[in-house]
Amino acid sequence: MNKIMYLEFERCIGCRACLAACRECGGHDAKERNYVEYVDFMESRQTYPMLCMQCKDPACARVCPANAIQITEEGVVLSAMEEKCIGCRNCTFGCPFGIPKFDFEENKMYKCDMCYDRSKHDIAPMCASVCPSEAIRFIDFDEMQELRRKRTQMNLIEGKKPAEHDKWQYVPEFFGVYSD
Amino acid sequence: MKQLERSFYSKTSMYSFFVIVLLFFSMWIGTSQFKHIDMALIGYMISSFIFAIGLTVRMCSWLIRPATHQVIKRSFKNLKTKERKKRNIKSIATTAFENIVLQKFIFKRGLYRGIQHFLIAWGCIGSFAITFGLTFGWMHFDLIDPDTYQIIVMGIPTIIMPAHGIFAEMVYNGLNITALMVLVGVIMAITRRIRSKDVKVTQRVEFDLFPLYLLLAVTGTGLLLTVLYTFLEGWMHPYMSLVHQVTVVVLLIYFPFGKLFHLPIRPLATAVPLNYQETVKVDTRACLKCNTPYSSDDQIEDVKGILGAQAFDLKLADGSYLSDYCPACRRRIRVMKQLNMEAPLGNPYDPVQTRNGIHISGFGKKRQDEFYNKATKSDSKQEERV
Ligand code: SF4
Ligand code: SF4
Repeated sequence: MNKIMYLEFERCIGCRACLAACRECGGHDAKERNYVEYVDFMESRQTYPMLCMQCKDPACARVCPANAIQITEEGVVLSAMEEKCIGCRNCTFGCPFGIPKFDFEENKMYKCDMCYDRSKHDIAPMCASVCPSEAIRFIDFDEMQELRRKRTQMNLIEGKKPAEHDKWQYVPEFFGVYSD
Repeated sequence: MKQLERSFYSKTSMYSFFVIVLLFFSMWIGTSQFKHIDMALIGYMISSFIFAIGLTVRMCSWLIRPATHQVIKRSFKNLKTKERKKRNIKSIATTAFENIVLQKFIFKRGLYRGIQHFLIAWGCIGSFAITFGLTFGWMHFDLIDPDTYQIIVMGIPTIIMPAHGIFAEMVYNGLNITALMVLVGVIMAITRRIRSKDVKVTQRVEFDLFPLYLLLAVTGTGLLLTVLYTFLEGWMHPYMSLVHQVTVVVLLIYFPFGKLFHLPIRPLATAVPLNYQETVKVDTRACLKCNTPYSSDDQIEDVKGILGAQAFDLKLADGSYLSDYCPACRRRIRVMKQLNMEAPLGNPYDPVQTRNGIHISGFGKKRQDEFYNKATKSDSKQEERV
């Protein structure tokens, strides 16, 4: 898999199509695994989509006492293996980004798996395939690099300079979720 | 203890050694000094020993994982605390009954799956209990007079039963009953694996399908043996019993290393009510930022400990850890960091500041640049005060 998930929070229009699409994905049991939330409700109605980063060294898997969270060869961090998960929710609290969800009834953790059956064949995950404003995109790694460069160039044109020790001043507000 | 440990290659080999010694000792007692040993079962016996060693090795390597180690350590600490006695007993009892005996949570995942798992689980546990009981000689039958049998458990005479009573029939057919349970369950499971497209997404042949076919082979040949000697007067019986023995040996050796290993680690589920969440869905620790209860103090301490032991540095600039915040706040922190609008700084009612100076207009209104400049000034004033 050489494609990456590419999020631009400020593009989100809050339509929640990605949530609906996630519910439709095979094996998701009609429950969404991604989030759309308000950045700061008091100031504006700006929302952001949130997915799992598919970390290289996932904290969620490291804190799981049952060793239930597996990583595929493509680097996708899967939901808990149903037979192993003991339902302790350590993964939910260990994840730096608050991603894993927990089903108390069925006593198991479930989380974004980048629609593994789709993305392993290089098909865009459900959320990326429906997002109307391209806040979530499933693109080539090279395309992502190109977008980042463009963004930087725009900043230079607008006269913004990177601050010392602060690359975010320079390459702001976006990042990729990718596996290689 | 330390001295003893050094006599062995590793802790794991020490435990394996003791497990084997214990098993031999129990055999010695059960078979009254090896007098009642059943030589026909020798193949099963040797593979059972391998099974025991495999299980010990797997258990040890599982316990070495920092996460497992931490949770087990806390469980033992809590079990020893007198004040928690009531909670301990209650957690063990409810987990054992609802989670392990009834397997309620699997029925919640679907009635079909519940029945299938229940049949396989209890069929397997029953079969294992009978097989081990007989191979290690923990249990055997004695004829005390022509139509009365007595069950001898560990060399101690127990129940007396008429040789052809209903209870006796049930005891003789114990393995057939459990095998039938497994057979039905396994066929249900294989059907599900073939039909459901959802499970195919992450299913792996060697991990998810092999154990099912293995169980099918074991129960199939086992039940065939019964059919052969009851209806066909033992035709092909010796060959079939050899085939059956081979399947069982493979199962016993495979067990500790594959999917079926989830059985011995399941009791860890007790740790959840024991250490973390006493009542389901009732949280006690409040989020550092929004004050919503989201976990318990002990759990967050454990999570921090486990992450620390594995060199994860999730400490923020203000000394708090990411796990001190509820998942919703953690998601927000991530976005706010990206957009350079971290909430703890400044007045939350002030306008949002972004890195690139492009502002999100509030409710569709375009604001004057001065509005934002004012906010920046009030921010810096605040910082001075701090
Ligand atoms: S809830 Fe399940 S997957 Fe998460 S840490 Fe606990 S056992 Fe592991
Ligand atoms: S759940 Fe969290 S820790 Fe695990 S891979 Fe996703 S972002 Fe990383």
